Amino acid sequence: MIKIEKLEKVYKTEEVETTALNGIDLYVKEGEFVSIMGPSGCGKSTLLNVMGLLDKPESGSYKFIDTELLTLNDRERSNFRKRNMGFVFQNFNLIDELTVFENIELPLIYNKVPATERKKLVNEIIERMNIVNRSGHFPQQLSGGQQQRVAVARALVTKPKLVLADEPTGNLDSSHGNEVMELLCELNETGTTIVMVTHSSHDASFSNRIINLKDGHVISEKVNKSRNEELI
Amino acid sequence: MFRLNLKIALRNLWKNKTSSFINVIGLAIGLAACLMLLLYVTYEWNFDKQAKEAANVYTTMTNIEGDNRKISGTFEGSVTAFGPAIKAALPEVMYTARMDYGKENLIANGTNAFKCKSKFAETDIFKMYDYEFIQGSAKTALNNPNSILLTESTAKLLFGSTDVLNKVVRFKDKYDLNITAVIRDQAENSSNRFDYLMPWSFYESIDESAKSINWGNYSYITLFRLKENADLAAVNQKIMAVIKNNTRNDFQTQALFPLSKLHLYGKFEDGKSIGGAIEQIYLFVGLAFGILLIACINFMNMATAKSEKRAKEVGIKKTIGANRTSLIIQFLTESMVLTFIAVVIAIALLELSLPAFNHLLNINLGISYFNAASWTGILAIVLATGLIAGSYPAFYLSSFNPVQTLKRKIGSKGQWSVSLRQVLVVGQFCFAIILIVATLVIYRQIQYIKNRPVGFDINALVEIPQDGQLKGKYELFKNELLQSGAVSAMFQSSVSLSHHGSNFMDVAWEGMTKPTNTVLFNQVATTYDFIKTNGIKLTDGRDFSKNFASDSVGVLVSASAVKVFGYKNAVGKTMSAFGDKYHIIGVFDDYVWDSPYKSNNPMVVFFDPGRTGYITMRLNETNSLQSNIETITKITKGINPAFPVEVKFLNNLYLEKYNAEKTLGILSNLFGGLAIFVSCLGLFGLVAYSAEQRTKEFGVRKVLGASVANLMQLLSLSFLKMIAVAIVIAIPVSYYAMGKWLIKFEFHTDISWWIMPVAAVGTLLMALITVSFQAYKTAKANPVDALKYE
Repeated sequence: MIKIEKLEKVYKTEEVETTALNGIDLYVKEGEFVSIMGPSGCGKSTLLNVMGLLDKPESGSYKFIDTELLTLNDRERSNFRKRNMGFVFQNFNLIDELTVFENIELPLIYNKVPATERKKLVNEIIERMNIVNRSGHFPQQLSGGQQQRVAVARALVTKPKLVLADEPTGNLDSSHGNEVMELLCELNETGTTIVMVTHSSHDASFSNRIINLKDGHVISEKVNKSRNEELI
Repeated sequence: MFRLNLKIALRNLWKNKTSSFINVIGLAIGLAACLMLLLYVTYEWNFDKQAKEAANVYTTMTNIEGDNRKISGTFEGSVTAFGPAIKAALPEVMYTARMDYGKENLIANGTNAFKCKSKFAETDIFKMYDYEFIQGSAKTALNNPNSILLTESTAKLLFGSTDVLNKVVRFKDKYDLNITAVIRDQAENSSNRFDYLMPWSFYESIDESAKSINWGNYSYITLFRLKENADLAAVNQKIMAVIKNNTRNDFQTQALFPLSKLHLYGKFEDGKSIGGAIEQIYLFVGLAFGILLIACINFMNMATAKSEKRAKEVGIKKTIGANRTSLIIQFLTESMVLTFIAVVIAIALLELSLPAFNHLLNINLGISYFNAASWTGILAIVLATGLIAGSYPAFYLSSFNPVQTLKRKIGSKGQWSVSLRQVLVVGQFCFAIILIVATLVIYRQIQYIKNRPVGFDINALVEIPQDGQLKGKYELFKNELLQSGAVSAMFQSSVSLSHHGSNFMDVAWEGMTKPTNTVLFNQVATTYDFIKTNGIKLTDGRDFSKNFASDSVGVLVSASAVKVFGYKNAVGKTMSAFGDKYHIIGVFDDYVWDSPYKSNNPMVVFFDPGRTGYITMRLNETNSLQSNIETITKITKGINPAFPVEVKFLNNLYLEKYNAEKTLGILSNLFGGLAIFVSCLGLFGLVAYSAEQRTKEFGVRKVLGASVANLMQLLSLSFLKMIAVAIVIAIPVSYYAMGKWLIKFEFHTDISWWIMPVAAVGTLLMALITVSFQAYKTAKANPVDALKYE
């Protein structure tokens, strides 16, 4: 579904140039759950941002089901993003001024879904995420795990083809972390493609395939046999 | 979407109470000040524009011919022959109406007598003004010479009701007139106001000079209504021809001018309007929007200072699909909501302060809540304010890159945004300092003019109008008053001591080189004790005296008149006026009358018991003021029972001359103060925010041993630097601007050296107090609280 070729990204400041991505090639098949790992500064978050169209690389190609995405302008990128992608962040990134319900509803509003259908969709996902009794609360009133569930719910409510997760368990204790990982696995099992950046090999073990990055290169790739066998 | 944005806006407002308060209150004050000034401006702007046909109504201006056929002066006035002659000759003229300038005259219902403003006019005045008739109609109102039209409040004053048709009132204690109409009171911003109106035919029957059709006596107003789209320049050309036919004069002595422009553009030079009150209107409009802009700047500064907090929201929204447009709309919605709340408070503030404002300026302004235009105006201001205040934050915040906002810190590093904020603060304080300087200079100028010697002691002088029996029985009146001991001296004169306006040019003198005189002279007619009573300094000769029978052809002249004549020893020399020869018996120093801001025309004082007008008395200062006034009132009432007694103090009459500049002084004081307050409010907000941002830093510094003074300095210095920059910019600007303003006055003060330091130190001090209040609070805070913060 995703085919990335010779992707390069350089960060420039006045004094130094840092090459974050140095000619990366990568593919992701539909329905796959891919983990990207590597030490700090290896470029994994940059890669995820480029895949999420939040950042622009210097050169290379990024095809999403045969559509070249790097040539799109801002408006087209924004439209493509809201129709096809969902995001989950380490620090949840919920809007503090909106309730749980409103936070989840927001992407549907941007996708111009009619109000009655929005209500239906949000209620469905709230039920699925097991946060029904929290729908009127504000983010600060929830625990970290609950906040991340809301964030996942928000990422899923538009039924995106691709979910991008950036250290989704980074701010959570292990039991809440596991809850979130199980949630992602369930999601993957229903057919959603997931790309996740993580530090934790425990989290990575939930995925089909693990890609190791260092200094902007892919240095190794490992297929997670146990998980694949599970699938079969 | 809108509903959600509204929710975010309201919840944000609620969460940041300090900054919301500063924003809303600042904007509300700015809007209230702006609306108040605009009300005043509207009032002035609509002068004489109420009638449907106002745009087609013109008044007649007279040009005074000076040296070399130049126009030396222009005033509103005309001759009795002008109106009929022009109407007969010009097809553009639809209607014309002659009238007098109006005067306070006695009107009575039985013993219920009042001095009210009278006016005589021809009936075509109803074709120019849309009077609203409560009783009677325009068709019948002034047809009969013995008819009279009252305004609603005059009818109520005299009869207690407006149901007064066909009742009789007595004019000047002499003429019985039949009430034929009652109209609603005219708008206050109207030039030709009256309390009662009488027909011109009646005026002709009681006043010879009104009856005689002549081209020489410029004592009347003549209004015209021209056809729509009439070309004024062409009309005035044709008028020139008519004047030439009738007077053999090839100088354009009279020309039409739009009545609706007279109030704002009433200053003439060389026969052309060169401005007038409109300059003040521009000033006030500038002031109104200046204050509003200061409040908008507060809003922008607070919003961009908070950008770090809002950046996260922008980032999230962008990742889940918001585009820039929708974010811009969101931030604009937010500022619109805020402006809307502010305008509601502003209208409340306005309602609370309008009575005091009206009282200060002696006008009657109000918000017309049922007027679509005023709501459109308010709505336009709200939209403009919301847009101005919201646009910069909206474009700035929505431009954030989502990755940066979500991953990295943003805001304080944006060099550009910080410097723009500084520029805005500097701009705000520049404006505030200029206003302080302006206020001080205006105040000093008013004081300077007030302290200018009038030329005689005005404190113990009073005047009364010489009405009714006081004309014929003046000698009796004088004897009784002098005997009573209330008055030490008195004289009668054709005009009041404080106001003359009786100009003439028909003067000749010994050794005159020019064929005709081109200097405008002023005339006063009086009898005995003129100098003795008023105490004006005689530099040569003597006052009129009963010992010299020849004094009936004697004149007193002012020092400036002697200068025009070119006499070395004026006493004993002669001059002629209106063809008669007069002997100069005394020379007196020029004194202040009419406008205290400019030097006056040369003056000639004639001896003429027949030209009555006012009686001026010097009170006996050994008695109490109250008993003097009581005695004068009693004696006046005894001789002239039909008229109310109006004793006016000369010093009050002189005080009234400063009204125009007093208004300017009050407005600049009031709105200058508000501008500074709103600026300080914004500064307070910025410091509070900056302190909040640096709480942790301060905690660490305190743990490491920083003193409260250190921390206060740290927080205050950057802000005070901005004020210093503002001072450096504003001082020369205000020095230049106020210098230009002062130059307009013939008599003016200088900009004292101390004004600039006072304005600079004052502003700095106010800013310092504002900043240190917050700085002290932050610096005193317990370091542990600060460290726990994150």
